[in-house]
Amino acid sequence: MLLAYKLAYASERVTANAIEANEFPQLAQEMQVWAVPRIVVDGEPRWDGAVPEPEFLRRVLAT
Amino acid sequence: MALLRAEEEAKVRDWFAELEHPVELLVAVGPEETPQAGARDVDFGAEMVRVCEGLAELGDGVTCRVEQKPEGFPRFPAVSIRPDGRDAGVRYDGLPWGYELGSLVGAIVEAGRAESSLRPDSLATLAELERDLALDVFVTPT
Repeated sequence: MLLAYKLAYASERVTANAIEANEFPQLAQEMQVWAVPRIVVDGEPRWDGAVPEPEFLRRVLAT
Repeated sequence: MALLRAEEEAKVRDWFAELEHPVELLVAVGPEETPQAGARDVDFGAEMVRVCEGLAELGDGVTCRVEQKPEGFPRFPAVSIRPDGRDAGVRYDGLPWGYELGSLVGAIVEAGRAESSLRPDSLATLAELERDLALDVFVTPT
C-alpha cells in the first residue's frame, strides 16, 4: 500500500486509495478481490500481492 | 484500548518528530455500507476518529480534522492524508486496523517528508508521466 501512496505524493498525476475490503464488500466483489493486496489501476483489477518498487511501477504504467 | 503498544508508540513518536512538513488527517464520516457479518457491532466512523485523533496526539506536526460527508469522498469512513493540508490524492477508505495501521502511519511519514523516499529512477519515470493514474489497493485488517 505504501508504494502506491509514495507514487501519489511524488506525482500530481497519481492518486492512491486504500480500500478496506471487508467494509466495502460490494465494491470488493466488483473488483474480484479474493486475495490482498489487490491492485486496481484506473478501475481495472490488475494483480494481487506485493512486488518490489521497480516492478510495481512497471506494472502500473503498463497499458 | 490503546492504539499502539508502548514500544510501537515510541517509534511512531520518533518518526513524527522528524516530519519536515505538517500533515493533516481529514477524517470523513457519513453513511456506511453494511459490512460483512461479524463486524456489525463496530461503529466504524467513531473508531476512525479515535484512531486518527490518537495518531495526531503522537506528534506536533500531525493534526486531525473531522467532517461530515465532505466532497470528494465516495465512501465512509475515510481519511485523507494531506501534506501541508493539501489534497494530494491519498486516501484510506475504511478503518485501518491491525497491520494496515502501519500503512496509515507510513503515509503520514511520507507526506511529511521534504523529498520523496522513492528511488531516483522511479521519480524520473514518474516525471515523464503524461496521463492521470488512479491506484486503488484493496486490503484487509490482517
